[in-house]
Amino acid sequence: MNLYKYASPATFYPLAGKMIPFFAITSAILFAAGLYWGFFIAPTDFQQKDAYRIIFIHVPAAWMAMLLYVLMAAYAGIGWAFNARLSSMMASAIAPTGTLFTLISLVTGALWGKPTWGTYWVWDARMTSTLILFFLFIGFISLQSAIDDPRRADRAGAVLALVGVINVPIIYFSVQWWNTLHQGATIRMLGKPTIAAPMLTALLIMLAACWLYSVAVVLIRLRCIILEREQNASRFAEVGV
Amino acid sequence: MLLDSRRLGFNMNWPDLSMSGYGFYVWGSYIFSLVLIVWEVVSLKQRKKALTQQQSSNTVPASVLRGSANETTS
Repeated sequence: MNLYKYASPATFYPLAGKMIPFFAITSAILFAAGLYWGFFIAPTDFQQKDAYRIIFIHVPAAWMAMLLYVLMAAYAGIGWAFNARLSSMMASAIAPTGTLFTLISLVTGALWGKPTWGTYWVWDARMTSTLILFFLFIGFISLQSAIDDPRRADRAGAVLALVGVINVPIIYFSVQWWNTLHQGATIRMLGKPTIAAPMLTALLIMLAACWLYSVAVVLIRLRCIILEREQNASRFAEVGV
Repeated sequence: MLLDSRRLGFNMNWPDLSMSGYGFYVWGSYIFSLVLIVWEVVSLKQRKKALTQQQSSNTVPASVLRGSANETTS
């Protein structure tokens, strides 16, 4: 089986169409399960009471924002280096969803900050670097929209996306590098998590739901971009869709 | 009870809707996220619908274009 054929927008278009229902339905089921677990099974925190339940949307959104930025930069870089149109289109498709998750992360973080820290916003390292991530996403979308030629727009977007990748480790390690108001990591790659098992379960289910949701909407947007960019859009509708 | 949560190894708690007095912040977070997610899905559906309508006015037959459908790069 030649997997390289799926690097062509025309071949990937029908495949994406077949994958979307699976990701969308699984994501909806996991969102329901995650919210049920987070609100009905996870116990009330002894210190933050029920305010901590914001964690089930805030943390997955923040993780997704960083992950989607790295993916967007990787696809943009591959598209630029190998002149692969589908990769560049994928980067363009990821950007709005990344922006959405960054905004969710910032707003829910502010709403969590008020009852726990007494303020919606401080110019703390973690929050400031996340705000920069939001501006990087907006900048990528704006730059691509401002250039009429899609290939030039892809190249310009790729440069911005690749330069901006430096911000992702800054966000991740900001709580270790600087003395910030934001709490440290409760889930580590190495070592035991410092969070109760029912809370961790809800968090991981919501993370999986956000991940599958992202795949579904990115694929839907990718199909729209393919249709928009190809001059003869009708062939995608008629060739095996 | 058919489905006893304690038998399944966890306790099911009915959440306090006031969220210990933090309802505005907790529900505000979830409602804001829901609105954004619904907006994204609806706007994508509208975009797809507009493209489909545009597509239906395009009369170029697929058989003519099929030959160039396997290009990988530009």
